[in-house]
Amino acid sequence: MNQPRNSHVGFSRRQLLKYSGLGAAAVASSSFLAACGGDDGGSGGGGATGPQKSGGTLIHGATGGGSKDTLDPHAPVTAADIARVNNLYEPLLFWNNNYELEPALAESVESSADAKTWTIKMRQGVTFHNGQPVTADDAWKSIQRVADPGKPLSGGGQLSTIIDFQSTKVVDDATLELVLLTPYAILDSLLAEYTVGIIPGGEFDPANPIGTGAFAYKSFEPGKTSTFTKYADYWGDAAFVDELQIQDFADDNAKVNALQAGQIQTLDNLPYNLVDTIKSSGGGVLIADAGAWVPFTMRVDTAPFNDVKVRQAMRLIVDRQAMIDQTLSGYGSLGNDLYAPFDVNYASDLPQREQDIDQAKSLLASAGQDGLQVELFTGDGIGSVAVPAANLFAEQAKAAGVEVKVTKKTEFYDDDYLSYPFAQDFWNTRNYIPQAVVGTFPPDLGGTYNETHWDNQQHRDLVNQAATELDEAKRKDLLHQAQQIEYDEGGLIIWGFRQQVDGYGANVQGLEPSKYLPLGNYKFNKVSI
Amino acid sequence: MTQVATLQDPFEEVAPPRGRSGGAAWAVWLSRRIGLAVLSLWLVSVLVFLATVALGDPVRAILGRDYNSNPGRVAQLEAQLNADQGIVSRYFSWLGGLLTGDPGTSLANQQPVWGQISANVVNTLVLVFLSAIVMIPLAFGIAMISAHYRRRRPDTVIQTVLLALAGVPEFVIGILLVATFSTTVFHIFPAVTIATPTGHPWDTPKGMVLPVLTLVIAVTPYVSRIVRATLLEVLDSDYVELARLKGIPEPVVMRKHALLNAIVPAIQVIGLQLAWLAGGVVLVETLFAYPGVGRQLVDSVRNHDVPMVQALAMIIAAFYIVVNLVADILSILMTPRARTAISG
Repeated sequence: MNQPRNSHVGFSRRQLLKYSGLGAAAVASSSFLAACGGDDGGSGGGGATGPQKSGGTLIHGATGGGSKDTLDPHAPVTAADIARVNNLYEPLLFWNNNYELEPALAESVESSADAKTWTIKMRQGVTFHNGQPVTADDAWKSIQRVADPGKPLSGGGQLSTIIDFQSTKVVDDATLELVLLTPYAILDSLLAEYTVGIIPGGEFDPANPIGTGAFAYKSFEPGKTSTFTKYADYWGDAAFVDELQIQDFADDNAKVNALQAGQIQTLDNLPYNLVDTIKSSGGGVLIADAGAWVPFTMRVDTAPFNDVKVRQAMRLIVDRQAMIDQTLSGYGSLGNDLYAPFDVNYASDLPQREQDIDQAKSLLASAGQDGLQVELFTGDGIGSVAVPAANLFAEQAKAAGVEVKVTKKTEFYDDDYLSYPFAQDFWNTRNYIPQAVVGTFPPDLGGTYNETHWDNQQHRDLVNQAATELDEAKRKDLLHQAQQIEYDEGGLIIWGFRQQVDGYGANVQGLEPSKYLPLGNYKFNKVSI
Repeated sequence: MTQVATLQDPFEEVAPPRGRSGGAAWAVWLSRRIGLAVLSLWLVSVLVFLATVALGDPVRAILGRDYNSNPGRVAQLEAQLNADQGIVSRYFSWLGGLLTGDPGTSLANQQPVWGQISANVVNTLVLVFLSAIVMIPLAFGIAMISAHYRRRRPDTVIQTVLLALAGVPEFVIGILLVATFSTTVFHIFPAVTIATPTGHPWDTPKGMVLPVLTLVIAVTPYVSRIVRATLLEVLDSDYVELARLKGIPEPVVMRKHALLNAIVPAIQVIGLQLAWLAGGVVLVETLFAYPGVGRQLVDSVRNHDVPMVQALAMIIAAFYIVVNLVADILSILMTPRARTAISG
């Protein structure tokens, strides 16, 4: 249940995009001006070549941020917080750029045969910014802070329900034996989230935050700026730059202007319409496949969607490529009504679903729903993509004789949320099992955000079985069966996944696209200017 | 920016008190004006409080879709907002906090409100002050040139340009300036304010140029046009005619006789424009990433951070009232007729 965490991420990003609407005219006219004067621009690719140089100050322009900003390693809220957390603190494992697990502060995380006891071996020679060595005790206390059963923090929801706090023990400085209440075969993936950073004694001091990251804390002003110095004794690749500064930007236009004027070197969440502006001024654009998605949600226990034929028809009505082209400016990848595209167990062999109006019509006819009328609930709170996608869907549905009335709510996430018969929602990427639990299980079994009221015993058994299955081939088979059920009967219309687009200045080197977080997981130690 | 039409007459309600010394009469007049200002501020506090309460349940707005799944956080926020108390007692505890210098704790980050907004208040005041000291001489200069060439070509050109500038929204001016001087054409000035971690925006003086220039261009046309109109009126008056007939050179007539009498309406319009700058330049602050109160207010509204919104709204209202009070006092002092009316 690390859902609340991710939902905050989505929120903040979207709010920023949404907020940029305030200056929409500004953005438009600025792009126009840039286009007019664009002939003095460089190659457009950006990025210097040759060996990376050391020294200098890297200033990163973070999207949004505000008085909500925090340095808490376990409760980041805004995009600026996520950038900070990833440079100050480190979890036991990392998600790498390809969304695969890599050892970080732990050398190894290994499970017993029953997936109930996990042995964590700490990496030796790692020190906190204050010089103290990192021990298994620090790791356990940090996990306890994240997963406090009374009030779990962002990354700890699911951990708090499966850890056996009595039986878990610190064996020695280098070894932690984590005992679970129930078998859980993918515990390692929970420990790799950036919201489970290890801090000394599990105690966070806002005045002097200490971690193990490549940069150490220097100063912090919420909503404005924060600075960090290179940590020379970093266990991994020490940073190229001497200092890192993270500057908040409430406005996309200001952010892009600052990059063009050379005041900042990197920025995250570049609006699609400003990509050419950056390229024409010699900067670079980093495009990464990412997993954020905005599905349509059909309640499977309410007419007309309780008839599986209607759900299937609705899924055939969507022109997925048009959705991506129009609502994401083409920066997206096709969805196949399945989530978790980066999971190794993603059912990529299921045929790509495409628009088929004739088939949709005949399904509706056989369900006795010719001339179907439905109301689709949406709102700006879901994100900037939601309302255009809803309107486009209504347009596409006309071809199949379905009349979709789009109702835009000012407060989408009110008491009606999770009761809408037909609506939208937003999610960031995660692997199949945690997503299936939080999004498709009944609320009392962990499905906090089960918008579709999906309640399928067979599907649930498969997911639960996979969660305890250590044999990867068997797990893959179980999850494939589970995905087949959702693919055939599910209540989600997943039409695409958003790509992550970030920008950087002409003199910046070392950035690589990542499927996990913007700007190569914000690992600024790899960046030189 | 049509406050010009709502200019209040600073001379009204200035009944000459009788049988008192000049100083005492001034004290009475001043205390009455300050009393009225305090009354206005109190009314504003009621309005601000009611408006923020009427926005709906802030807890629900803050938590979004986590509202139903996180009852612990709901209870915590409700306790912080004293949601169980009646609206009247909530108002008075808030007002009491304001009066004792404690506007509460931010809902967004649990930090004291005052600690977060004090730096931004100073930043905005500096921006407004710098704009004012550039704008006032500039506006008067343009107005004098314009009045001098009245209805001839230079005047027509100036008035056309001023009207055009007055018609362009301030953030468009800002975008044009940024494109010209920092991103697209030249690279002379920074495009945004990058605050040094320990210092202030003005630690980088070059970074102040474009925001100040934007505000100056946004405000100068109004002030300049008012001053020109008053100057023309004065220049047509009998006593200026008399001065000219006495052979006083035209520049001296303009400076000594006309300009001094045109100052009073200018003070009023400058006061209103400065007050507007302090609270209403959200778009300019956003464009230049300038850490001022306008942007902070938008951020707080977005976060549904009720204590922050209330405190910022009160500060902006107080600035309006203070600036207008100062403008009124200056107007009285500059007008012999009104001055003697008070001091009897």
